[in-house]
Amino acid sequence: MTNTDATVAINEELGSRDDMIVCDGVDKWYGDFQALKDVSATIKEREVVVVLGPSGSGKSTWIRCINRLEQHQNGRIIVDGIELTNDTRNVEKIRSEVGMVFQGFNLFPHLTVRDNITLAPLWVRKKPRGEVEQLATDLLERVGIPEQADKFPGQLSGGQQQRVAIARALAMEPRIMLFDEPTSALDPEMIKEVLDVMKELARSGMTMMVVTHEMGFAREVADRIIFMESGEIVEVGTPEHFFTNPTEDRTKLFLSQIL
Amino acid sequence: MTDTADTSLLTTASGKPPFYRDTTIIKWIVQVFTLVVVIFALYFLSKQAGDNLKARDINTGFDFLSVNPSFAISDGIDTAPNTGGRALWVGMVNTIRMSLAGILAATILGILVGVSRLSNNWIVAKVASAFIEYMRNIPLLVHILLIFFTLGQLGDFGKEINEVTGKLEQGPINGWIHISNKGLSVPRIHISDGFYQWAVFLIIGAIVGRWVMNKRTAARDGTGAETYPVLSFLGVLALFGFIGWFLHPFFGWLGDAIFGPISRLIPNIPQIAVQLALTALALVMASLWIQRFLTSRRTPAGLARLTDDDWFRMIFAGAAAVIAGVVFLVIWPGLSSWIINSSRDFFEVATDKFGDGRGNWREDWPIDAARPDISKRGNFANPGPAGLNFSQGFAAVFFGVVLYTSAFIAEIVRGGILAVPKGQTEAAQAVGLKRSTMLRLVVLPQAFRVSLPPLGNQYLNLTKNTSLAIAVGYSDVVQIGQTIFNQTGRSLEVFAIWMLFYVACSLAISAVVNFFNVRLLIVER
Repeated sequence: MTNTDATVAINEELGSRDDMIVCDGVDKWYGDFQALKDVSATIKEREVVVVLGPSGSGKSTWIRCINRLEQHQNGRIIVDGIELTNDTRNVEKIRSEVGMVFQGFNLFPHLTVRDNITLAPLWVRKKPRGEVEQLATDLLERVGIPEQADKFPGQLSGGQQQRVAIARALAMEPRIMLFDEPTSALDPEMIKEVLDVMKELARSGMTMMVVTHEMGFAREVADRIIFMESGEIVEVGTPEHFFTNPTEDRTKLFLSQIL
Repeated sequence: MTDTADTSLLTTASGKPPFYRDTTIIKWIVQVFTLVVVIFALYFLSKQAGDNLKARDINTGFDFLSVNPSFAISDGIDTAPNTGGRALWVGMVNTIRMSLAGILAATILGILVGVSRLSNNWIVAKVASAFIEYMRNIPLLVHILLIFFTLGQLGDFGKEINEVTGKLEQGPINGWIHISNKGLSVPRIHISDGFYQWAVFLIIGAIVGRWVMNKRTAARDGTGAETYPVLSFLGVLALFGFIGWFLHPFFGWLGDAIFGPISRLIPNIPQIAVQLALTALALVMASLWIQRFLTSRRTPAGLARLTDDDWFRMIFAGAAAVIAGVVFLVIWPGLSSWIINSSRDFFEVATDKFGDGRGNWREDWPIDAARPDISKRGNFANPGPAGLNFSQGFAAVFFGVVLYTSAFIAEIVRGGILAVPKGQTEAAQAVGLKRSTMLRLVVLPQAFRVSLPPLGNQYLNLTKNTSLAIAVGYSDVVQIGQTIFNQTGRSLEVFAIWMLFYVACSLAISAVVNFFNVRLLIVER
């Protein structure tokens, strides 16, 4: 991997920050199929990393390993200084530090929007209800749908549901947010409203790891782009380096197919 | 182009179609024809039945309900009923008691087995599967007979007289549980008469506690400070319970002051008043239904045009009320005496339970754990403070239906849990919920929603299956009814009572299940 000057510059700038996610030689198999091959990467505080790659390249598997929705088999994953092991206390601690937004929203359909957001702070953080309700109101304000608080998820549009899902993850006041293809299940006019919320979040200094196919978002918001194929990290660099001057042939092929 | 088109459609479209193509007329003809056929069929069958009965000199009528049946019942609230109606009532109570206890036990066991079958623990999962396969692949009657004869093969051990003390030995586990060919004896929480007075304290405590809880919830939501509303509620309830535990005879006057006068008043109600009240009730309910129906058809612009189906519904509702009125007034006056007697029974029991400042201030605690009295086994009418003695028949039917139904409930629960999308558990894990919290707040509420309709079916099945009690001689409504019609020959009447009773039970269960089903519906659009 040869880095351009810009990549060197950003790596120097990032070097002074704390490590938020460290992956070191992570391997993951599904039966005989190896989904992740020796994946090593470090994500710094307040950094926005976009993971790109063709379908089946292991992007989602990797991001799901980071909060133990999938279990890696080799290597180490350290999140905010805590290593993911079989110790359930570590797993619980990491999950309450890491927010996740899914492709299919996965809102709880039997609870109102407000209850979806307040559930975890009430039961995991054990905060008083008055405070949590206020938090929910503030978060819905932030994602732009304060008037939907008492509706059920089934009554909202896809874009609104995804924004509720972001508010639900933010309610735990996480230090890291993971986005697993957050706009793939949305109509084009709804993608923008979700991306706007994510851009606002990035500007506020949240550490974010985003798996997406939105090239415009990657170019505009990302600090670094990680390109994966067949379970391997192929190339890492700034958006400028990645979109204008990629070094690897596989990256060039990918870009030629989507641009 | 129009000159070449088929013009017959156009001409009839402007005018009225011939009657055999008019949907309104066709609908009315079909409905009226169906009604006539049904009425004729009912008339024909009942006429035939009546003629045959007359030809064979068989009496009909419900007079047996008020005649002393002169037989004893082995299990139940009254082992020597003085009327046929009361004997059937004893059977109905036995069926209801068996069904309610069975539904409760089968639900708990079924949920346990269903969740176990999904367990990651290999042994637990396999044991649960084996249980389900064994239970549901063998007919219920075989299970009931197997349990019955297994119990019968047991000796009557543990009943020996101790040679040294001359007293009855209590048997294994110091007499707390006892299985023998006389049935199954288990301890129970004994509810003494003081309990009902104590319950008044608890009810007042719950009301006050609820008020305190609301206050504290409001305070917490206002200031954000933790005020422990639920703990406050429990504290107030416990305080009232504690005071009432010692002061419960205070409410003894309720029996003589309220329930006594009511129970003395009821026999003075003339039968015809109950009949008229029931008839009026039927008519009022029909008119209320029609009114509500018309309201539902009302639009902002006024009453919507009623379709033919709407008219049929209203006509049938009115006709049903009129028929019910005729039944109450003319055909079955025995019903009103039965209602008068049983409601008097209820208030008499209440009077008796509250007593008159009853109970020793020190000795008669409201509740108490009681060992079974094994000298009185085989008798469900447990006199005095003692544990439950299930008769052999009760134990066989109870465990038969509970084990059998729980296998089906387990499969329903398992299906319900599997029907919750995987994304739900992932989302719950991702926000950091613990496994138990996730199950309770996210998975089970959604699984329960899917499971409820089939669960209701299993409850109906369980209730109807208790009628297999006849195979082992447990005194449920079918067994007692059969004894009555063997004695009196009134088979048609007894069959009618059976059917009405089971229909009423099933409708009651469906109503409860539907109530929860509507409340659990997930709101969409």
